Amino acid sequence: MEELGLKGALSTITSDAIIEAVAVVALASLLIMAVQKLLPMLAQKLSGKPRLYLLAMVPLLRLVIIVLTIVMVVPILVEPSFENMLAIFGALGLALGFAFKDYANSLIAGIVTLYEMPYRPGDWIEINGQYGEVRAIGTRAAEIVTLDDTVIVIPHGLLWNNLLANGNDGTDNLMCVAELYLEPNHDVARMRELFRDVIYICPLTKTYQPVVVAVQGTDMGMKYRLKAYPLTPGDQTRFIADLTARAAEVCAAEGVKMISRPLLLQ
Amino acid sequence: MATENDSGQPCLPGGLIPLDQWSTPDVSVRKTLRAGFKDILEQLRSGLTPESEAFESLDDLPSLSAKKLKRYAPEPDASAFASAILEQLGALRQQGVYNRGVSFIVVPPFSGVSEALLTLPSRVIEPPDNLFMTEQDADCWWDEQLGDDDWVVPELANFWLRHRSGLNLMKSFFARVALDSAGRGIVACSSWCWQFWVRYWPELHVGPLTLAPLDSERLTGWLDFLAHGGTGWSLTARMTNDGLYVLPPKTDESKEKYSCFMQDLANAARGNRGVAHAIWRRALRAKPEEDTEQDENGAGAGKTAECWVVPFDQLSLPGVPQSSGQQAGIVLHALLLHSGLTIDALELVTGITARELTMLLSRFLRADVIVQDENTQAYQLTPLGYPSVRKHLQARGFSVDGC
Repeated sequence: MEELGLKGALSTITSDAIIEAVAVVALASLLIMAVQKLLPMLAQKLSGKPRLYLLAMVPLLRLVIIVLTIVMVVPILVEPSFENMLAIFGALGLALGFAFKDYANSLIAGIVTLYEMPYRPGDWIEINGQYGEVRAIGTRAAEIVTLDDTVIVIPHGLLWNNLLANGNDGTDNLMCVAELYLEPNHDVARMRELFRDVIYICPLTKTYQPVVVAVQGTDMGMKYRLKAYPLTPGDQTRFIADLTARAAEVCAAEGVKMISRPLLLQ
Repeated sequence: MATENDSGQPCLPGGLIPLDQWSTPDVSVRKTLRAGFKDILEQLRSGLTPESEAFESLDDLPSLSAKKLKRYAPEPDASAFASAILEQLGALRQQGVYNRGVSFIVVPPFSGVSEALLTLPSRVIEPPDNLFMTEQDADCWWDEQLGDDDWVVPELANFWLRHRSGLNLMKSFFARVALDSAGRGIVACSSWCWQFWVRYWPELHVGPLTLAPLDSERLTGWLDFLAHGGTGWSLTARMTNDGLYVLPPKTDESKEKYSCFMQDLANAARGNRGVAHAIWRRALRAKPEEDTEQDENGAGAGKTAECWVVPFDQLSLPGVPQSSGQQAGIVLHALLLHSGLTIDALELVTGITARELTMLLSRFLRADVIVQDENTQAYQLTPLGYPSVRKHLQARGFSVDGC
């Protein structure tokens, strides 16, 4: 530390400067808390793109506030000369490199997240088998809420070496798939047409987005996949349930039996 | 295809145009941004202010009496409108730009085309009582209905239900029209219903026509024409706030300053004549110093009449009551897709229970967003509530009409 000149740089700090710096940091923290509380609250009242834009502003505003705070606090504490800056950031680099390697890793990944935007608040993502809506993007980690209303904290560092699936990628278009297994030896073309009708008559379907009924012969029977977009990503559970129920009604009316693995095992 | 000059019909300004040529009246960037911010603010305010109920006028000027309203802004003459449509179709056929047996007129709600078609001497095809038909039954039903004589379908949206058993009549009909084997007829179809079916069948090509959108110029001319009502009276309408003129239409010789009210009206109504007419009637006010009785008797003596127009920002239109879920949107969307539904049909189409529907519909009724037809018991949107319903549905991801 001595060699880095840190002692010299810090020797000029006065108690008044510390109080002033603490006040600035406290103010910035309050501002960040306000942004993190207020904007999501307002976003809940909106729908469509305005909601997504407002949510995406939260991490960006926080980064701006943090950067501005650093820019303001450093000159308050030390004289912003080249030597002093080198000493402070050198010491900081060493500390982060050795003591808080993983933490720093996630912090840097957090900044990359804001730049590359692999996920934004409001996106539905899957990472390491966990699927949910991104509720907040923090400095170190992101919070997702699963369909079962469980909050999962995902460190940004996981981004470096894990596959991330983003269902809607900053839009409100999220494709959902309702899967059905039917007994073979039925009129496949008719069932596909009827399942297509099922998608179009569902009131939650975005009819201006593609609608697909895929079918595949498997060892469990004929596997149908009804693919379509719900009105909003938040409707996905109801949407898939509605499609499944309507498709089951069609199967019953047509006399085509649905099958499941437990039945096959019997 | 048709222009204002070649249509030559004051009750059909702009004439009939191909549906894909329809566009909203021009709106400035400033007004678009302002409208966008206003929408966002309304959504944000929804939780802070009491739920909007039936709307009230925000100014203190007396409204026009029913008699005067009928004289200054009468309902359009359906038979004259029908004649103009026929004339336009004939002209298009003569020009060789339209040669289909079945003329498809796709129009937004409240355009008045359905009512106009009912005045024609052609046979009217009404929807069957039971819309749930098998494919074979639907084919047979159309075989019986589509004869060699001229026929009209006043509203195609009444021929289906968004239910797995309620699509066959439309499928059978569209297949015949696409093959040009449905005889000679005119079909009016709600733009919402049409939007659904062109998504369902992207390859559906039946050459639909629509009414030209009413921009501020056409709208001014049309409202002036209605005010004249064939009696020769002219109406002078001025703004209540600054006295600028709205009617009569501006001419090259006009020295008076004119308001941009008609532009705002055309934009708010998206060129829809029925909606514009309803808002116009809502905006008209009597002179404050006028004695109503005296005026009602005396105005007929002269050849001009005067009234006042409330500025747009003082004109409170009905809004959709805010709710957290999608049920409100689903119900309103279903009403638009089918041009009105009874509560039983709504239950079938939306999957929402009758009890929940009753609660939702009562809220919409209180907010003046919908009305219930006394004869058919069907719920329908009001023209004044339509603009806010359309915005509500668009903001929540529903498929909206193209005009």
